[in-house]
Parts: sequence; structure tokens; C-alpha cells
Amino acid sequence: MSDTVKNPLVIAVPSKGRLQENTAAFFARAGLTVAQGRGARDYRGTIKEMPGVEIAFLSASEIVSQLAAGNVHMGVTGEDLVRETVADADARMELLQPLGFGHANVVVAVPQAWIDVKTMADLEDVAASYRARRGERMRVATKYIHLTQRYFAQTGVTDYRIVESLGATEGAPAAGQAELIVDITTTGATLRANALKILDDGVMLESQANLVASVKADWNENTRKLARSLLARIAAEEDARTSREVRARIPYSADMYAEKAQELFKARAIFGTGSDVVTLVCPVERTPALADWLIMQGAKHVTVSALDYVFSAVNPLYEKLAKRIG
Amino acid sequence: MTTETDKDRTSEREAALIARLIAAGYGRAEPAILQPASVFLDLSGEDIRGRIYLTGDASGAEYCLRPEYTIPVCRDYLASAQAGQAAAFSYLGPVFRYRSNGPAEFNQAGLESFGRADREAADAEIFTLAVEAAHELGAGPLKVQIGDTGLFTRFLAMLDLPPVWLRRIRRGHARGQSLDLMFKPPENGNGGDHSGVLAALEGTDKTGARALVEDLLSIAGISSVSGRSAGEIAERFLEQASLKAGGAIAAEKRSLIERYLAIEGNPDAASGKLRALAADAKLDLADVLDAFDARLGFIAARGFDVSELDFSARFGRNLDYYTGFVFEAHDPARAIRPIIGGGRYDGLLRTLGATQDIPAVGAAIWCDRMGASA
Repeated sequence: MSDTVKNPLVIAVPSKGRLQENTAAFFARAGLTVAQGRGARDYRGTIKEMPGVEIAFLSASEIVSQLAAGNVHMGVTGEDLVRETVADADARMELLQPLGFGHANVVVAVPQAWIDVKTMADLEDVAASYRARRGERMRVATKYIHLTQRYFAQTGVTDYRIVESLGATEGAPAAGQAELIVDITTTGATLRANALKILDDGVMLESQANLVASVKADWNENTRKLARSLLARIAAEEDARTSREVRARIPYSADMYAEKAQELFKARAIFGTGSDVVTLVCPVERTPALADWLIMQGAKHVTVSALDYVFSAVNPLYEKLAKRIG
Repeated sequence: MTTETDKDRTSEREAALIARLIAAGYGRAEPAILQPASVFLDLSGEDIRGRIYLTGDASGAEYCLRPEYTIPVCRDYLASAQAGQAAAFSYLGPVFRYRSNGPAEFNQAGLESFGRADREAADAEIFTLAVEAAHELGAGPLKVQIGDTGLFTRFLAMLDLPPVWLRRIRRGHARGQSLDLMFKPPENGNGGDHSGVLAALEGTDKTGARALVEDLLSIAGISSVSGRSAGEIAERFLEQASLKAGGAIAAEKRSLIERYLAIEGNPDAASGKLRALAADAKLDLADVLDAFDARLGFIAARGFDVSELDFSARFGRNLDYYTGFVFEAHDPARAIRPIIGGGRYDGLLRTLGATQDIPAVGAAIWCDRMGASA
């Protein structure tokens, strides 16, 4: 008891908006209820089903810095913020799992009128001649200073200056504050409305919300145990949601069919093939094809059912974390 | 009380070094540690942003801790009554730069010479003083590499290359790119994408091209042209059209550039090869080659064995503001990083606000890259 109070596993989650709702929904799918203290303004919470886990409600950018510092064990945040805020992100944290929400691409966009510019190579040439002609560097408005530096360096663009922009970046070229921008976009509609276009190779990062673990946090016996059990639930739900249980009775030996099913459909005979009834767990999208195939092999009936959880001794999420924290 | 720490020894050596530079006529400059950040970002590009220490004040102005001395010394000189006249400065003190291995604050020493019309003599003086100063600090035998950015610029100008090729080659040279990369045909708009426009533009003049681009924009319903004018876009199409028509860079010019860039080794021998190349290609490089030889003469006159210097036509220090003589010295027994770096930068003072170009040459010495091993 005192152990869990002294040594909680701290998970940082977004404190407001769609990200918070989506994060709560993500935990709920795994059967975990995020409970927020006494009201919407309490910054600490718990997970009802898992005593010993503490939830910290933080702003998106604070989640990244707390993960980098090792003050929280895990967090839910966008990959764009991770890559932008922390120079050596891969040394300090591990992106355990993309969560399927909070999608946003970080892109390089130039005025549509630049009909001669389609690629970063074009941009490099144009930036160099712009500087040669005017004695000034082309200005790039962005809040993603580090991502921009890294991507431009990778693509050989050097003749530019960053103008830090903390809002309405897409308006900067029209306002004469910059020649081009680096910003996030989901549909590109805002860019088009501002007469901007994304370069063909101008997608720097396809970002989404991730479950991120801090490498530098205090990983003791207790927090590891909690992390393992939390990640087991998440992995079990993920596996269950993306799979179907397929059962069939195949005359003669189920053995060879199971092997074939693995090869053709990635269906796993998780309970072995001891009897002539084979139970397979198959990726959702391949299930109908698998059923057809089983019938062709001589099965009279094939039942398919949804799963709630698939718990496994080997937990890929925890393995990933364990590899990093030793 | 008898123990002398490493730090004491370092300070003593540095004090001796600065005394020597002052005695040579280079008054000590003491520029502010806090500098406006935009000057460094404008001149060195954004990639320096990750390596400098930025801060701001209540008015929103952006400052940095000086990452080097040349620009601060230049700014103080331009703000002084001496601006435009001949002046010489030395410096010694901390600079601040992020380094993945090593402290961010470290001492740099160096010297700058402004406004001297006898460029080659000034080049030789700065170079030899810097090498002597490094020895004062405890540097062992040095491996010295020299180059001449001014010579290369003149050589390219004589070849009368299309501007787009001139840009590519200069940039490639400054970055130390391989020849193949430098001469690779420019990638643009996914190859054939613009071929219709380019074909339509072949043989067109600037006015016609501009009109075509304006028509294209209005057909596409794009009314606002931001950043670049329709004229600039048209000119770039024209450049590309001419590149397409002319194919790659003319083979004979390419082979001349290759021959030029292959010249290296003993500086006197290199000078002979450069003259032979100029004669074969009928390029008038006489005055820059005379300057090259004169500089070597001044270096020899100061007691240096010129044959120990290593000339390379490919050597161009990566800052693109160097306009003439460039040099680097390494301690072969130690790190790969140079312990002295310098050169001529006649255009910098104008960029920083002078009304005209002012001759300028300087050298920086990394105090922490030597001595300790001795």
C-alpha cells in the first residue's frame, strides 16, 4: 500500500479539448477509466481499475518536457511536439504506440503562385537565387523551428531565415512577414484558402498522438509492474479489436491447415491443433477470406466472433519499454 | 602554495599570446558578450541557431552570447571613429557555442585586420602571426592547408557560365561537394512536368516570359504573388529552358573546372599549374595569380617555409563570406578539428553596414584544442 502511494506510475495526459476526450476514450477501450479528481479543474487523477497509477493532466507541450525530464513515466502526446521540443528525443523517450487520433502533418508550403517550385530541390535553388539577388535570406514562418532546421538541412536548403510564428502561420506570406511556411495541416484546406501549396516532398512528418514512455523516469520494481500490467491491457485490447476469433472443425488433421492459415492469412492457432477443431485469431480484414478457405478445405461450418481481450505472455508494448529501461 | 594548476598554466600562456599580438600592433578589442542574434543568423544561416545561446529582453529583442569574435569586432569597428580606416585588433576571451563533446563556454583568441590596401602583405601577416600565436599556446607541429576563394571566383567568372551553374558550383565548392554532385543536372519539378512551359519559352525574351507567367497565373486564378515577382518566376523558367536546351554544362568547361579543382600540393608548384591552365584555356588570371605568388613571397619573407604549406584548389572554408586567401591549421597528433581558421572576407563589413567594401582579413585560434596534451 505505502509502496504504491510513494511510488506511483505517473501518466501525463492532455488536460483539455479533443485530445483529452480521445485519450480518455483510448483508455476506456482498454477497460481503464480515467477519473479526474473532484472536478474539471483538478490536475491530478487516477485510473479506477488500477490503484497505484496517477494521472497528471498537463498541457500538450508540458507533457513532452516532463517526459524528457523523467518526471512522468508515460504520456500521451503528438509526435510533432516530441520531435520539435526535444533534440535527442530518441535517447530520452520511446514512442510505444501510435494511437490513431490527433493526426496532423508537418509540411512545407509555398505560395501557389510559385508555379516553378514543386520540390525541395526547387526551393533550394530558388532560396539561393533569392539571396544572391536581394542580399537577404528567404523567410520561413513556423513554430516548428527545430523540425524545420533538421528537414531543410537534410534536403540541402540553407539560404533561409526562420521567423517564429505562434499563431495563424498560414497568413504570414500574404501579410508579407515571410515567403513560405512550415506548419501542421490535416486536410490542407486552410493552406489552400491562403493560396499556399504543399511541396511534393514537403511532408516533414506525419504526426499523430502517441503513447510515449520516458526512458529517464524512475523505473523501480513497482512502477515496472504497474507499467507491465497497464500495457498488457492496452495490448490485449488492441489485439482483440483488430482480430476475430475463427473456429472450424476440419476433418483429419487440423495441423497442416493451421500452418497454411498462418502463411496465407496471418491467422494464429493460439490454442494449438490437438483436436480436429481449430481456433484461429485472424486480422479483421482477412477473416472472410480465411472462412472461405476453411470451407474449401472441408470445414462444414466456420464461426467468427469478436474478442474482448487477447492477453498474451509476450507483451510487445512492454517488451519495447523493457528494452529501453534495461 | 607551490602547486600551479593546469588552469594557471593556461592563463599564463594565453596572457603571453595576447601580449605578443598587442606588441605586433593589434590592439586588444573587448566586444560585448551579449550580441544581437539576427546578425549571426543572417550571416551564418539557420543551422547556427541550434548551436548558439539565445536570449531575449522585455522589448522582444533577440540576443545571443557571442558565438565567435569576428562579427562583434567588425561591428565595434564600424561603430567607432576609425570606421573605414586601417585598423588592427586582437582578442582573447570566452565564446559560447553548443558542442556535443566539450563545454559550451571556451576561450578563443584571434586577430583581425581592416582597411589595408596591401592585401597580400596583410594576408601573410595575419597568417604567420596566428601560427606563431598557436605555438605560443603550446601547439605542436601544424599541418596547414591553404586555398584561394578569390582565385576560384575569378576563374569561374572568366568561364562565362550560366548564372544557375555559377550558383551551383560556388555552393558545391563551399560545401565540399564531390564533382559529380556539383555537375548533376538540376532537379526540378519532377523532370518533364514543366517541359511544355519550357518549350514555349525557348528563345523568348524576359518580357515575353514574364507575360506568359502572368497569363498562366491569371488562368489558374492566382491573383496574389507573394515573395517573388512574376518576373522572377519567369526568369527562373528561362534559366531552366536554357539549361534544357544546352543540356548539361558544356563538356570543355566542365573539364576545365575539374582540372582546376584537381590542383593541389606544394603552393609554388600549384601556382605553376594554375598558370599553365590559364594559358591553355586562354583565361586572363594574371593579376590574381600574381597576387597568389606575392602572398607566398610575403609568407616566406616572414621566415616560413612555403613548401610545407598544403595548397588545395578544392579547399574553401564553409562560411560563404570568404573572398580570398583562406587557411586552416591542424595538429596532426590531435583532433580533426582545426585549431586555427581564417581568411580574407572583403565583403563582410559592407554587409554589416559599411557604405563600401573594406578589405578585411582575420584568424581565430581555438585555445582549448591544444596545449593540454603537452
